[in-house]
Amino acid sequence: MEIAIETHNLKKYFDEIHAVDGIDLQIPKGSLFGVLGPNGAGKTTIIRMLSTILHPTDGTATVLGFDIKKEALEIKKRIGVCPQELVLYPRLTARENIHLIAQMHGMAKKDYKERTDDLLGKMNLLDRANSLVKGFSGGMKRRVNVLMAVIHEPELLFFDEPTAGLDPQSRRVVWDFIRDFQERECTIILTTHNMEEADDLSDELVIIDHGKIISQGTPDELKGKLGEGDILEFKIKEIEQRNEIIERAKSLEFVRWGKPVGKHRIVLNALDGLRRVSEIMEVIKVKMEDISVRKNTLEDVFIDITGRRLRD
Amino acid sequence: MEKKMRPKIIQQLRYLTIKNFKSMIREVSQLVWIFGYPLVFILLFRFGYGLEVFNIFAPGVIILAPIVLISQLAGHFAEEKESGTLQRLVTTPVSRSTVLLSGLFSQLIVAAVQIVVMLLLTLLFGVSINPNANIFLLFFIPFLVAFTSLGFGLILASVVRTASSAGGLAWFIILPLQFLGGLLTAPLLDFIPTALAAEAMGAVMIYGSTAFDPIGLNLILIAIWGIGLILLGILLFRRKTAIL
Repeated sequence: MEIAIETHNLKKYFDEIHAVDGIDLQIPKGSLFGVLGPNGAGKTTIIRMLSTILHPTDGTATVLGFDIKKEALEIKKRIGVCPQELVLYPRLTARENIHLIAQMHGMAKKDYKERTDDLLGKMNLLDRANSLVKGFSGGMKRRVNVLMAVIHEPELLFFDEPTAGLDPQSRRVVWDFIRDFQERECTIILTTHNMEEADDLSDELVIIDHGKIISQGTPDELKGKLGEGDILEFKIKEIEQRNEIIERAKSLEFVRWGKPVGKHRIVLNALDGLRRVSEIMEVIKVKMEDISVRKNTLEDVFIDITGRRLRD
Repeated sequence: MEKKMRPKIIQQLRYLTIKNFKSMIREVSQLVWIFGYPLVFILLFRFGYGLEVFNIFAPGVIILAPIVLISQLAGHFAEEKESGTLQRLVTTPVSRSTVLLSGLFSQLIVAAVQIVVMLLLTLLFGVSINPNANIFLLFFIPFLVAFTSLGFGLILASVVRTASSAGGLAWFIILPLQFLGGLLTAPLLDFIPTALAAEAMGAVMIYGSTAFDPIGLNLILIAIWGIGLILLGILLFRRKTAIL
């Protein structure tokens, strides 16, 4: 297995804040690797270090075989970075913004012109190619932001929250676009706090919190760690009795685990939970505001480990 | 792929300079500022005070033109920092120095156009130029002042966080240079670049002088100011945008 990215004990401290606190990664070439975590978990800091625009405080990392500290230029020639923020030149057109990145990479004019039109077409932006970006909607800007990262056909792509703030339809367009890149054997690193995105796109992923990896595996492996039960989520009124309620629920042999979440909720994992809701209700004896029953998600994995939601 | 994609610094510099130009000319307020501010003083002196006063102050008004580049350059780099485009650019194989140079180049080209336009406008409005005046010096003296403006602009861009604060703070440099340098009044500090340039410009324009003192000596002193300020600006800007 060829390795695209390898890090050992990678750390980045900003004074007292440990933004990244000893990350070890081995990311195979050609994979789509997800980095899932809440805001402030350290996802962007990892991307910034790997794309050589931030020096690590400690540890080592290689990207495509090049050291991030000593061989930054070699790495920059081979990567594409799609930042979380919309980083565009507002007084340039969509086409000019994309061309600029191709020009910085030394692409031949004929190549980047053809490719830009092809990419703009795929993102449904061809009819606005010559419009100034400052007049674009947020979704259109987001799509140009993505195209600027891929115009030079990089070997490795960093997508930092590529669909943040997008409507569901535009999000699907970007997801299809990312999948298309993966099929070309490009290695993709995708950071997100959207569990559906991480689950749907990633071959393998890490969940990070407070700068540390808290779990790693394929989406199915991670969800499998929670067992085969269903997830039951209750919104309750008796918030001061949540722990007692959870203990009562756990006395049932088919309830595998339970956690308090947010201010008013309880999450239970129960085997065959859908059919046994009434039994659970009888035992926990609470006044519920609502209840939902569903299969495991990556968010449940995060809740299981941290006791918090990704959005908390 | 790798063979085809070999980024060359000269090409990167050219494309970045073109990008800077496009961004500049598409913002009407920037064009109004670059050409409008000195034009206001040309019109004021010519039609407010009459031709005799205009003849005396025309050299200073022409020197005034490149001074406005302080806010222009500071705003440009502050915007690159603030919007994240500088950081995005340096994830590509372009160096910070190339980005910096492209900003300076584009402003110097603007300065050249601006100075020619101001010289032509003063002529159009009837200024008397000594028949022995050296045309090259009439262009070169304000152009040298443009270098000092870029130095001031870079220093300012290093210390501010936003383009709007760069625009506001630039006045704390432009106005002292304008008034203490005697561009529109008598000079108060004769060692600052605007005072040196106004004296040299007046000597060439009004008296047709080519003497070393004040022209040659003043040009050397302005060049020292320019080199010193630009070096300091580059040092500060690189430090403030360095990889941490």
